[in-house]
Amino acid sequence: MSQFSRSWWGQKFITAIENLTDSGRLSRGRSYARGRKVKGFEIDGNLVTAQVRGSINPYFGVHKEPLYHITIEFQPLSAAKWSAAVAEMASKASVISRLLLNEIPDDIEKTFQSLNLNLLPGSQKDFKTSCSCPDWSNPCKHIAGVYYLVAAELDQDPFLLFELRGLSRENLIKELSKSPLGQALSAELKSVQSRPQPAAAYYALPETLPAKGETNLREFWQGKKQLPQTMEALPEKSVSAIQVKKQGDFPAFWHRDNSFIEAMEMLYEQVKSKGHL
Amino acid sequence: MQILHGTWIPAPDTEFVQAGRFYLWIETTARQPELEEQGCYPLQLTGDELARTLTGEFKLQSPDNTPLENRIEPCYFLLPTVDCAPLPSLELSRYLEIALPETFEFEYWEVDGYPIDCAPPANSRSKAMGIVPLLNELHFLTLHSLNELQLGSDLLFWFHFTQALKRIIFKDHYIPALKYRPLAPRKSTAKKASSKRSSGRQKATDSQSSEQFTLYSGWEFIGDEYETLLEQYVEYMPLLCSAGFAVPHEDPQLYNPLTLLRHFSECLLAEVVTHTRFTKAFEKTVSDSVLDNCLNLHTWVKQTGLEQYQQWQTWRDRIVRTQTDQPFYLYFHLLDPVNSDGPWQLQFEVAPKDDPSLKLSLDDYWNMGKPQQKKLKSRLGSDFEQSLLLNLGYASRIYPALWQGLETDQPVGIQLSLGEAFTFLKESAWVLENAGYKVLVPAWWTPQGRRRAKVRLKAKGKSLSGGKDKSKSYFSLDRLVEYQYELAIGDEPVSEQEWHQLVNAKTPLVQFRGQWIELDQDKMQQMLEFWQTHQAENPELSLLDFLKLTAKGDDGELEVMCDRQDMLAEMLGKLSDKTQLQPVDDPEHFAGQLREYQKRGVSWLQYLEELGLNGCLADDMGLGKTIQVIARLVQEREPEDPESSRAPDRLPPTLLIAPTSVVGNWRREIHKFAPHITVAVHHGSDRIKEAKAFKRACRNHDIIITSFALARKDAKLFNTVEWHRIVLDEAQNIKNPKAALTKAICKFSAPHRLALTGTPIENRLLDLWSIFHFLNPGYLGNQTQFRKNFEVPIQKNNNLRQSATLKKLVEPFILRRVKTDQSIINDLPDKVEQKLYCNLTKEQASLYEAVVKDVEQKLENAEEGIQRKGLILATLTKLKQVCNHPRQFLQDDSEFTAARSHKLTRLTEMIEEAAAEQDSLLVFTQFTELGHALEKYIRQTLHCNTYYLHGGTAQKKREAMIAEFQHPETEPSVFVLSLKAGGVGITLTKANHVFHFDRWWNPSVENQATDRAFRIGQKKNVFVHKFVAIGTLEERIDEMIEDKKKLAGAIVGADESWLTELDDNAFRQLISLNKSAIIE
Repeated sequence: MSQFSRSWWGQKFITAIENLTDSGRLSRGRSYARGRKVKGFEIDGNLVTAQVRGSINPYFGVHKEPLYHITIEFQPLSAAKWSAAVAEMASKASVISRLLLNEIPDDIEKTFQSLNLNLLPGSQKDFKTSCSCPDWSNPCKHIAGVYYLVAAELDQDPFLLFELRGLSRENLIKELSKSPLGQALSAELKSVQSRPQPAAAYYALPETLPAKGETNLREFWQGKKQLPQTMEALPEKSVSAIQVKKQGDFPAFWHRDNSFIEAMEMLYEQVKSKGHL
Repeated sequence: MQILHGTWIPAPDTEFVQAGRFYLWIETTARQPELEEQGCYPLQLTGDELARTLTGEFKLQSPDNTPLENRIEPCYFLLPTVDCAPLPSLELSRYLEIALPETFEFEYWEVDGYPIDCAPPANSRSKAMGIVPLLNELHFLTLHSLNELQLGSDLLFWFHFTQALKRIIFKDHYIPALKYRPLAPRKSTAKKASSKRSSGRQKATDSQSSEQFTLYSGWEFIGDEYETLLEQYVEYMPLLCSAGFAVPHEDPQLYNPLTLLRHFSECLLAEVVTHTRFTKAFEKTVSDSVLDNCLNLHTWVKQTGLEQYQQWQTWRDRIVRTQTDQPFYLYFHLLDPVNSDGPWQLQFEVAPKDDPSLKLSLDDYWNMGKPQQKKLKSRLGSDFEQSLLLNLGYASRIYPALWQGLETDQPVGIQLSLGEAFTFLKESAWVLENAGYKVLVPAWWTPQGRRRAKVRLKAKGKSLSGGKDKSKSYFSLDRLVEYQYELAIGDEPVSEQEWHQLVNAKTPLVQFRGQWIELDQDKMQQMLEFWQTHQAENPELSLLDFLKLTAKGDDGELEVMCDRQDMLAEMLGKLSDKTQLQPVDDPEHFAGQLREYQKRGVSWLQYLEELGLNGCLADDMGLGKTIQVIARLVQEREPEDPESSRAPDRLPPTLLIAPTSVVGNWRREIHKFAPHITVAVHHGSDRIKEAKAFKRACRNHDIIITSFALARKDAKLFNTVEWHRIVLDEAQNIKNPKAALTKAICKFSAPHRLALTGTPIENRLLDLWSIFHFLNPGYLGNQTQFRKNFEVPIQKNNNLRQSATLKKLVEPFILRRVKTDQSIINDLPDKVEQKLYCNLTKEQASLYEAVVKDVEQKLENAEEGIQRKGLILATLTKLKQVCNHPRQFLQDDSEFTAARSHKLTRLTEMIEEAAAEQDSLLVFTQFTELGHALEKYIRQTLHCNTYYLHGGTAQKKREAMIAEFQHPETEPSVFVLSLKAGGVGITLTKANHVFHFDRWWNPSVENQATDRAFRIGQKKNVFVHKFVAIGTLEERIDEMIEDKKKLAGAIVGADESWLTELDDNAFRQLISLNKSAIIE
C-alpha cells in the first residue's frame, strides 16, 4: 500500500496533522508506519497508544535503539452533543444509507455544523499528542507515523471515527435505535462477521451415486426431458461489472491505488473478447 | 454410421484441487469383437482410428501440436449391459439389428477418449479450441452434414449447456473468489468469533490464530440465474454424461448429475478466465493484488491472508445478499411534467416480489398508518426499511443524482431537469435496470411508443397500363414501385419549416404536437440535407427490390412506408397477413369443395401470380396442397367475367415435377377434381422423346406431369417449351444447389413458378436458399452472400436479428398453415381422410401379372365351394403382398428398399415430412412379416424412434411400449402395428397421422384402428392416409367399398369372404392389371 488512505474521510483526517507539522517529519513518519516500526498499536475509545522503534542517534546521545511511547488522545464530544448529532444524522436517509455501505457521507460535516460541531479533527484543539522522544516538536515524526496508521484503519472501518470522538459502538447503536431510520443502521452494525467458510474442495466435489437398476434406457441415453428446441441469444450490450460496481470501489481486500472496478471491467471485457468461449 | 459422444470426467485423484477433462469418443456400427474380451466397448473407434476421424472430419488439433493419437486415454463408462455384453446407444441401435431388452445391468467398459481442455493454455500456439467453441463447431458441422456422423444426445446436451454457461459468463455473473481450507481439525474458534465484529477493529487474525489453513484463490459464479440453470439442465442431462470415470469403481456408480455440472462449470470458469490472454496493460493494473492471485490460481498459507479472506467474504456476502435475498422490487418511475418547462419527477416505488401488482409509491408508504405499514411488511420483509435504504444506497452509487432524494428520513423521489431526465433515459435507466432495479419510463420512450425523426421512403405502386385490361398487367413481372422521400416524426409527416424549428431547438427532448420526443439535432440536420438533395427525384424500384428494402426493417433513419390507401400498402398487408386475402369461391368447374383455408390458399396463389411473384405453398402434410393447385388450374381457365361468352385463350401448359411415387396420385386427383383438365404423364420408356412431337403434345394438354429424374434427363426437351408455370411438388428435392437436377430445373422457362413442400423449410437454411433461387433468383443473394449473411450468423452464432430479417424477407413468399392452428382445426373434421394412389414398379407389375396368370388357370379347374373360396382368398393375399413390396411376396431375404415399391417410397417421404414436423405417427398393416420389415426399415433408414406391436407381443411389453410412446418427453416416434393386434383397445393419441399401408376390405375394421389415435373432444385433427395401388385389385375394391358406402353403409361383412361371392368373370376383372398404371 503506497497510500495510507484512499477514502475522502481518511484523506481529510490526515490533513489535520499535515497542517500541524512540516513535510520532513511527515515523510519520516510515513516511513515509520510503512517500515513496520510501530509496535503495540492500539486504539481504545478516543485514546490511541503505540510504541515506535526509534533510530540510533549519537548526536542526541542515543546509542541503542530506543522505544518511544506515543499517545494520541482525541477530544471527545459530550454524550448530549452526540445524542443530538446522531439524531440529526438519523433524520437523513442519505447519511444512513452511506453508513450502511460502510462509507462516511461526504457532506457529514454539514450535519455536524448545524450543531456547531465538527466530526473530523480539524485543528490542534481536536486532539492531544505526546511522545517520549527528545524531539521538541509536537507532533513529531513518531506521532505522525502512528497517525497515518489510524487513517489507514479509518478507511476500512469508518465507524472508528465516532469512537475516536467519544461515541462507543454500543452507544452509537443505542442512539441510532431511537429513530426509525437509525434502526436500519443499528441492525446492520449488530450483525456479526461470518466465520470463514471451510471449502471441502477447490471445485465443487463431484459426488457419486450407486447406479440404479430400474433406470430406463431412454433416460440413460437421452435424459429425462427433451432439450429446448430454440436457444437464447447471447446478451446484447450490457453494463459491465454491475454487481461489482454496486459494492463500491476499493473493497477492503484490494490494496492497490488504481480502481478495482476499472480493473474488473477490463477483466470482464477481455474474457468476453479473448477468452476461449 | 458413427455417433460422436463425449462427457466431462473428473480427475481420479481426490486432491483438494480436483480438476477434470472433457473426453470425446466415437461409437460405430463396425464392431470389433476382440475388444469385448478385454473389457473394452466393442462398438468404438480406438486409438489411431479415433484420432484420424477427429482430425479428418473435424480438423481437431492438439494444444501442443503433437499428434492426436498420443493424447488418447482410456476412460471407463458405466453402460447398460446384458449377458456380459454392453448395449449400444439408442442412437446407434437404430442402425443395428438388435432388440433392446427391458432389463439390464450396469458394468464398466473401457472406451478410448480424446481429452479436450476447457480452454487451451494461454501460451498454446496451436489452433486447439476450448470446449465451448469446439462443441459449437461440432454441432454446426454435424447439423447438415450428409456424411455418416451424428452427434449423440450426450454431446448435444453439453453443447446446449456450454452455450448457456457462456451466456452467464457474458453477463459477468462471476467474481474473484478465495477459498478457505482448514488443515487441522477446528477447535474452539467459534466462541471467539461471535464477539468479533462488536469489537470492530480487532484484528481478525487474532481469533483465528489457532487454526491451520491454506487459502486458495480462484473464481466463482454468483447469482440466481446460474443456480436456476443448473437445476434446469439436470433434467435434460442424459445419464450417460455422468457415467464416465477415469478409474472404474468397484460397484456400479454414476456421478450425481448436479454435482457433476457444478464441478464442470467451476472448472470451466476457472480455466477460461485464467487462460485468457490478457493485455499487458491489464496485467499492470492488477499486479500484486488479489486479482493477480486469482488469475494465477495462487495459494498461500500465511496467516496474513486471512484478513484479506474475511474482507473478501464480507464483500461477497453483500453481493449475494442484495442479489437474491430481498422479497421486494424497487422501482424508479420517471414521470414527465405536465407543462413542458416544469420539473420531471423520478418517483421511488416498491412492490412485493410475489405479487408485483401491489406496487405502491414510497410517498404512500410513509404516509400510511403504522398498522398498515406493518401489514405490508409481512410481504415486503420485516427488515424492509433497512433493505430499502441499502438498496437506495447501492442505486445512488450507480446513479448519484439519487443522493439528493435521500436528504430526508422518508425518501420519496427526486426532481430532474429536462437535461437530467434525458441523461436518465439515455443511460442511467438502463444501468439501473441492469443492476436489478425496475425502471418505469413514459410510454413515449418505450420502443413501441417511441416516435423517431426519420426520412421516409414513401412508395406507391405504379400502374403500368392504367387501363382496365387486366390481362396486360397480369404478366408484368417487373412491377414497378415509385417512391419519394419525406420527412416524418413517428407516423406524421413534418414540413420542412417545422423540421427547421426542431433542429434549432437546443434541447434533446421537446414536446412536439403535445407529446414528448427525443431529438438528435445533428442527425436531423443530416436527414434534412439528404431530403433536400433527393426530394426532386422520382425514382423507381422493382417489386422484389421493394420487398427486400422493406424486410431490412427501419432500424436506421430511413423507413419504408406507403400510404394506407395505396395498393402497395394493401399488397404488403396481404402478403404479411394472409388472412386478409379474400377467399375465392369454388371454381365453377371444380368437382369438389374447398375448405375455407384452401380457398384462401388458392386466392394467395392467384394474388402472387398476378403480382408476378413466385411463392412456396408449405402447408402441413394432410392439409391438401394438391387440391389447392388443382383448383388454381381450374380457376385460371374460367372467364373473369362469367357473363362474357368468350372463352379465354387457351393457356400454355403447366409443368409439374414430382417424385415418381406421387405422379400417379397427381393424375388421379386431377381426374377426380377436374376431369376437364387434360393431363399428360411424361414418364416411362415409351414417352415422347422428340422435340416437335413433344411440343405438339404440350399444346394439347393443360398439365404435363413428370418426375424429378426425368426433369434432369429430358431437360433439353422441357427447355423447348415456354411453360405457363412450373410446379415442384416436394420442392426439397432441389435442396442441393449444386446438383445437376437443381441446375436443370432452374433453367426451365416460365413466368410463374410454384414450390410445394410440407417440411418447414425456414429451419433448413440451405434448402430455403435453393428453393428461393428457383422461385425468385437473386432475392436472397448468391450462395456465398447468403452463407455469410444468414447461414453462419443464424446457425452458428445464433444471431436473432439476422434470423428475424430473413424471416421478414421470405415471409411474403411462403404460405404455411399448420394443423395446430385453431382456425385450421375448426375448419377441418376431426378425421381427415385421404387416399394415396401409388403406381406399381415394373418388378411389382410382372409379379402381379404372373400371379394373375396362374390363378386364371387354376380357376378354370377349381371346383365350386371351399376349394374355390380358398383359391380366391389366397390370391387376394398374394396380390396384396405384391402391391406392398416384392420382397413380401417373394419371401426371400432380398432387399427391402424403397426403389422396389412406390408405396414404400411414398411412406418414406411422408414419414420424413412428419418427423421434420415433430409429429408422431401410426402405421398399420395386416401382415406381420411386413410390419417387421417396415419397423426395421423406418428405424434404420429414417433413423426414427420406433415401436412394433403384433400378435406375438407380450402383454407387459405392449403396455410399456404404449406408455413410452405416449409419454410427453418421448421424442416423436413411429408406431408400427399389425391391424389385428393393434386395432382395438389401446390408446395412442399422441399420433397425428395414421397410415394404412395395405387395405382391409372392411371399412369398419380400418376405422377402429384409426380410432387408436383419435378421441372425441380432443383439440387436434388426425390425418388418415390410405394407400391404394393404382390399376390393381386394391383400387377396384376401394371403388366398390366407396360405392357400397354410398348405397347402404357397411353391408360388407367383417372379413373378406364377401369377395368370394363374386363370379369368375367379376373376379377376373377385379384382379386384372391395368398396365398403364406402371411406373418405373
